[in-house]
Amino acid sequence: MQRSKIVLAEDNSTLSLLLKYRLEKEGYEVLVAVDGKEAVELVESHKPDMVLADIMMPFYSGLEVVSYIRNKLKKDIPIIIFSSAGQEEMVLKAFNLGANDFMTKPFSPNELVIRLKRFFS
Amino acid sequence: MNLYEYLIDAFNQAPVLIQIGFLIVLALIICIITLIISLRAIRSYLNIKGKEIIKNKKEFEALVVEYLYSGTGFDELSEKQLAIITRIKDAIISTSKRKSVITILSNLMNEVSGEMSDSIKTLYHKIGLITYATQRLESKKWHIVAKAIVELRRFKVYETQDKVATFLNHPRKEIRKEAQLYSVHLFKFNGLSFLDDLETPLSEWHQLLLLEALLNLENQKICDITPWLKSSNTSVVLFALKLVKIYTQFETKETLIELLSHPEKEVRVYTLKVLKELFGYEAEESLIENTSTSDLRIDAEMSLLNLVKN
Amino acid sequence: MDNDIIKIIIDIFHYLFFTGSFLAVLSYVVLSIISAVETIEYVKKNSFVNYNHILSSPISPSITIIAPAYNESLNVVENVRSLLSNHYPNYNVIIVNDGSSDDSLEKLIEAYDLEHVEYVVNEKIKTQPFREGVFKSKNPAFEKLIVVDKENGGKADALNMGLNISESKYVACIDVDCLLLEDALQKMIKPFMEATDHKVIAAGGVIRIANSCVIKGGKLIEVNLPKNLIVQAQILEYLRAFLLGRMAWSRLNGLLVISGAFGIFEKETAIKVGGYDTATVGEDMEIIVRMRRYMEEQNKKYKVAYIPDPLCWTEAPDNYKTLISQRNRWTRGTIETLRKHRKIAFNKNYGKFGLLSYPYWLFFERLAPVVEVTGIIYFGILIAFNLVHWQYAVLFIALAYLFSVLFSIVALYSEELTYNQYKKKGAGYKLILLCFIEPIILHPIVLYAAIRGNIDYYFNKKKKWGAMERKGMTAAETS
Repeated sequence: MQRSKIVLAEDNSTLSLLLKYRLEKEGYEVLVAVDGKEAVELVESHKPDMVLADIMMPFYSGLEVVSYIRNKLKKDIPIIIFSSAGQEEMVLKAFNLGANDFMTKPFSPNELVIRLKRFFS
Repeated sequence: MNLYEYLIDAFNQAPVLIQIGFLIVLALIICIITLIISLRAIRSYLNIKGKEIIKNKKEFEALVVEYLYSGTGFDELSEKQLAIITRIKDAIISTSKRKSVITILSNLMNEVSGEMSDSIKTLYHKIGLITYATQRLESKKWHIVAKAIVELRRFKVYETQDKVATFLNHPRKEIRKEAQLYSVHLFKFNGLSFLDDLETPLSEWHQLLLLEALLNLENQKICDITPWLKSSNTSVVLFALKLVKIYTQFETKETLIELLSHPEKEVRVYTLKVLKELFGYEAEESLIENTSTSDLRIDAEMSLLNLVKN
Repeated sequence: MDNDIIKIIIDIFHYLFFTGSFLAVLSYVVLSIISAVETIEYVKKNSFVNYNHILSSPISPSITIIAPAYNESLNVVENVRSLLSNHYPNYNVIIVNDGSSDDSLEKLIEAYDLEHVEYVVNEKIKTQPFREGVFKSKNPAFEKLIVVDKENGGKADALNMGLNISESKYVACIDVDCLLLEDALQKMIKPFMEATDHKVIAAGGVIRIANSCVIKGGKLIEVNLPKNLIVQAQILEYLRAFLLGRMAWSRLNGLLVISGAFGIFEKETAIKVGGYDTATVGEDMEIIVRMRRYMEEQNKKYKVAYIPDPLCWTEAPDNYKTLISQRNRWTRGTIETLRKHRKIAFNKNYGKFGLLSYPYWLFFERLAPVVEVTGIIYFGILIAFNLVHWQYAVLFIALAYLFSVLFSIVALYSEELTYNQYKKKGAGYKLILLCFIEPIILHPIVLYAAIRGNIDYYFNKKKKWGAMERKGMTAAETS
């Protein structure tokens, strides 16, 4: 069986490393982007099955990533957004743009895995 | 050699003013050359340092992540974890590596919760960072002390509470502020007790940080705010008013009405705002009638007008 | 007898000239030292600040960005997008279309889905009336945006309209063609919120030069050193002005000007003093002087703050013509402001403001170019009559040159240790080389423009009222 591909866009390198290990252990293939620009490029070239994106990132924000995937690429792959406290407004915007779920930082990687599996079942 | 002698001669025969000027020119040239050389040195130093920071970050990031995933699921640490602890412990004798580890851990603390953040805290303790931070509390430089308190707060280190408590009224604003934040982050509403006898002002910025510390906590019982509403420290009163508003403390109504005759205009206006928020428009009308002095009445009406507009 | 008098006059002239030069050098030395102290303090203070809290707080103060636009059709849509993407929880953006004759308004309406809304202005400051009126977006994604279309009245008038409409506690006045970094507002609002025993009435930011930098989607992606020598020289000039000059003056609480391209004001005070003056070309300096004057007259403790972080980037003139007309305007602005408020000069009722800042500005900003040109003319006369003591002359020129090189290098030093924006290989050498040629390629032009400004101010009345015709290129102000 082909492993599911996930693009992870997160500017905190330790967190992305942490999540990458965790997700790889769960059997996913993880491509890490350090900013929104890279995320968009990865989505275009690798056609992942899911995107995880932080809202606050340099160059392109998570919102722009969502908007790009939905409006430009016209893809309906699941997208989960990471937000921080106080970004409720942004989360709502992300949902309007077509995000599927969100997690508020700080979150537990276990929780993320549970949510993520729901999309693949 | 001839030229040199000629120049010396010329210099000796020149007027005093020229001699002085010439010396200044020489001094300036030396200054400029020294600065250029050290500028180049700094530039390459920063360059090397930058690369080293990246290298350190890569190395320790991997170690930390490995540590976090090698847990046994029980309280005791696995052998792999113990090995990683020893490795990091030896490495962080070097200041730059220590800084790197602290940065990685504190960035991660902001992002993950639950078991994982507990695991990070354990790591922080085990590799001895707590000892370094405690030592820094003794420093004579204010920014080092302040930074150390920030760190202790972030990793929720309760062991240093007595030491940090001595900084609550520190003359240096930044140290005092961080100590107060530490207290609130660790002890929630109980940590606010320093407000009881606080004489120094709380800036808006500081009030915002204190509020944020409280708002990020879940399921907590708010304590009695009334004493702070009666504080002689205006900024404490203003902060308490914000608490009344955010935690909708209806039972403070009596005290709020007393505050309408507070000597500070800012307090009066803000009290009115809070009253309006909590008890609505009608309450306010009666409040205006209750207020005695005419000056205050005008004040109150003015701010009412402003409120209506907003 | 006559000869004696002339000799005495010439001697007095010499002494004045040398004392002036000496004081100028001394002031630079003192300012550099003060700025070093202040920079170290600032860096220490900010080494452990976490700005994230202000982003989630329910009590972050409200800010309105006011950006006047006049015939900016080419870039206005992009620029507005960048203004809308600032990381701050409680702000809105007012674009004041100041009677543009191009299709700016149509472009904005189309790009942001704007619709006309009824709006009654509480006219606290008198301005030109609405043309098309007020527009807001139908799309909730752009709910922060308000576009106001009004009759032309100049930049000051447009800013005043923004002041009338804003409902925030603070206003950020910026040029629409500036690029604001995402963390600009949160950093700029901090000094207002940190004050306890005094009130911060305004805060100025640094202007950095964006020529040749890579900007995509309203974001600064890469900082580059431009190839154009005029622009390069201005980079050095700005570094000197902002990292040495302004930093020191902010320590002394003596800032008389914050850049028209990016500054935040406490709205209440700005409106109380009557907003921007529409009769001057130097409205950004004038309003600060007037606000300070007001606070001094009210005997209130206040401060004008300054944030040295590189938060605002703008295109600088890349040819002599635009540069000269920009500097000409700055000179006239300075003259107008100082004349309007001459009551403050040497007036001890205004404290440090009257005894230090104002005189400094008068002598070293307002009069320095005039003195310098007088000196050059005098030198020319001496050459013509073959009266030059070449030993002295050469030595003096060498001293002046070396001092100016030294200060540029000190500024570079400061930049390297703080923000270090020009990291690319080779940029370091270029900047050092620039320190040596800048006095030759930029200074004469700036001097010429200043003299032109003086001439236009005193003899060319038409130019004097040039406040009304806004120039397309409104670059930053330096000191």
